[in-house]
Amino acid sequence: MTLSQAEFTFVSNLVRKEASIVLAPGKEYLVEARLIPVARAVGAPNVNDFIADLQKRPNPQHQRKIIDALTTNETSWFRDREPFSALIDVVLPDLIKARQAVRKLRFWSAASSSGQEAYSLAITLQENLPAGWTYEIMGTDISTEMIARAEKAEYSQVEVNRGLPATQLVQYFERAGAHWRIIPALRKNVSFKHMSLTAPFPPMQPFDVIFLRNVLIYFDVATKRQVLQNAAKILRPDGWLFLGAAETTIGIDDNYERVAAGRTSAYRIRNAVPAGAARRG
Amino acid sequence: MSVEVEVDESDLAEMVEQVWESYLDPEGVSPLIPTYDENQASEVHSSVSITGSWSGHVVYASSTAAARRAAAAFLAMELEEVSEEDISDTLGELANIVGGNVKAMLPPGAQLSLPQVVLAPESTARYPNAARISGVYGLWEGEPVSISMWQISSETKEDGA
Amino acid sequence: MTPMRAMVIDDSRAMRMILKRIVTKLNFEAVEAGDGKEALDLLADMTEVPDLALIDWNMPNMNGLEFVTKVRADPRLREMTLVMVTTESEQSQIVRALAAGAHEYVIKPFTEGAMIEKLALLGLVPTGANS
Repeated sequence: MTLSQAEFTFVSNLVRKEASIVLAPGKEYLVEARLIPVARAVGAPNVNDFIADLQKRPNPQHQRKIIDALTTNETSWFRDREPFSALIDVVLPDLIKARQAVRKLRFWSAASSSGQEAYSLAITLQENLPAGWTYEIMGTDISTEMIARAEKAEYSQVEVNRGLPATQLVQYFERAGAHWRIIPALRKNVSFKHMSLTAPFPPMQPFDVIFLRNVLIYFDVATKRQVLQNAAKILRPDGWLFLGAAETTIGIDDNYERVAAGRTSAYRIRNAVPAGAARRG
Repeated sequence: MSVEVEVDESDLAEMVEQVWESYLDPEGVSPLIPTYDENQASEVHSSVSITGSWSGHVVYASSTAAARRAAAAFLAMELEEVSEEDISDTLGELANIVGGNVKAMLPPGAQLSLPQVVLAPESTARYPNAARISGVYGLWEGEPVSISMWQISSETKEDGA
Repeated sequence: MTPMRAMVIDDSRAMRMILKRIVTKLNFEAVEAGDGKEALDLLADMTEVPDLALIDWNMPNMNGLEFVTKVRADPRLREMTLVMVTTESEQSQIVRALAAGAHEYVIKPFTEGAMIEKLALLGLVPTGANS
């Protein structure tokens, strides 16, 4: 091991700050193995000098290379499955009734990371919206690195093995050298923007569905409440919010009510009267 | 006609990383640490040949200790339990996996041979008319491992295309 | 409840051991075959058809694609779920295998988690088994 504890800490702080990804302890060798080619590519004599140099003089380009090398994302396609089944079985039939006039749906994938969730949503909509309907999916993330990666829409062999049915792999991806890239027909409906969930939200067109999954768990209660309140302002009154399986609005923000959606739960704005469904007040 | 190879060193490095992640180091704690030492020693090697749109060999080479460790990781065995057959089967499958992925990146029409495992170092003498065109060289828990591509020179491979 | 049964078909003994280890962990009983021909012979003698077959593509005697085609043509084997597990990763090859009747396709190298997720897609293990 040539990487000192201090060097490892410097690198993991950088990655946590810039990409919101935590390098688990025990991964020191992996970090070293991935940084050696980076150091070599920028002409540094070794990893230690490369890091020492960066500590003395911050170099955004080198930082970017480090983050890129260390943040392979292992997110699955259609992660957890159930929310996507719920979209098909419950949410889309409801929205298709409610949006007959505009025939267009807008989805938000919050904390979109390397883009698997946003593109999984795109595949779901591509296959389940009636002819003549369009959709827009916006992914946002706090990391500009992740935004760049999601926009590139290229995934490794190991990444496309994760939870993606083979029929969809061949239909919605094309080979790009060693990688697989999302086809343009899908990419054109998906955009990515830099955004921090904990800062005031920028002006956004309202969404029909928000996927805000596995991100609230990292916040304290006050921040969770603030994020949920901000989300409520850009969720259409009859829209749907999906949280991670271990997350809830209950006891945090009473403007939402939990509703069954297939075999999982979703959240809807309380007291709003959705088109196409009778609800109790 | 010679076809330009479409597989470069970074592609090879990525495949190596995926093999480690999948079979040799699923916990991500003992990766192959790059050395860029093309001349590092090997004691055993395994290769698959590709013919067709590109002709050459993909070679997995390592020390005996690294080969034993690979077999133990691959087959979920203790190091002491690993037999020569285990080593041979594991090295063969490793060459097959990397070779198969290389083949998938070549122009259509490439064929992959069955793996050949030789418990002796790789050497240029073993691949007549072939030259090493790229490779990933590293240490795995201190033991040398390499994956390299050898191209058969086009003069000897004139297929009249 | 009778356990589910899986057939692992690969000419590499090392790969068969990996696959066997994974399916055994998922409570399948595993049967091994070294190529498509051997697998068909074994199936012919079985009174109960396995629930799942994990099938390499490139094998001597009978390759995985031929095996899939033969299984699909045999009504007795209709219920068997067929998953290709191979380094063949050209898009056209995947399309061919699916057209021949394979239900899923796993590209080597694969992590244990990825294999479990694929089997979950097919309803052969509970979703979330690997979460």
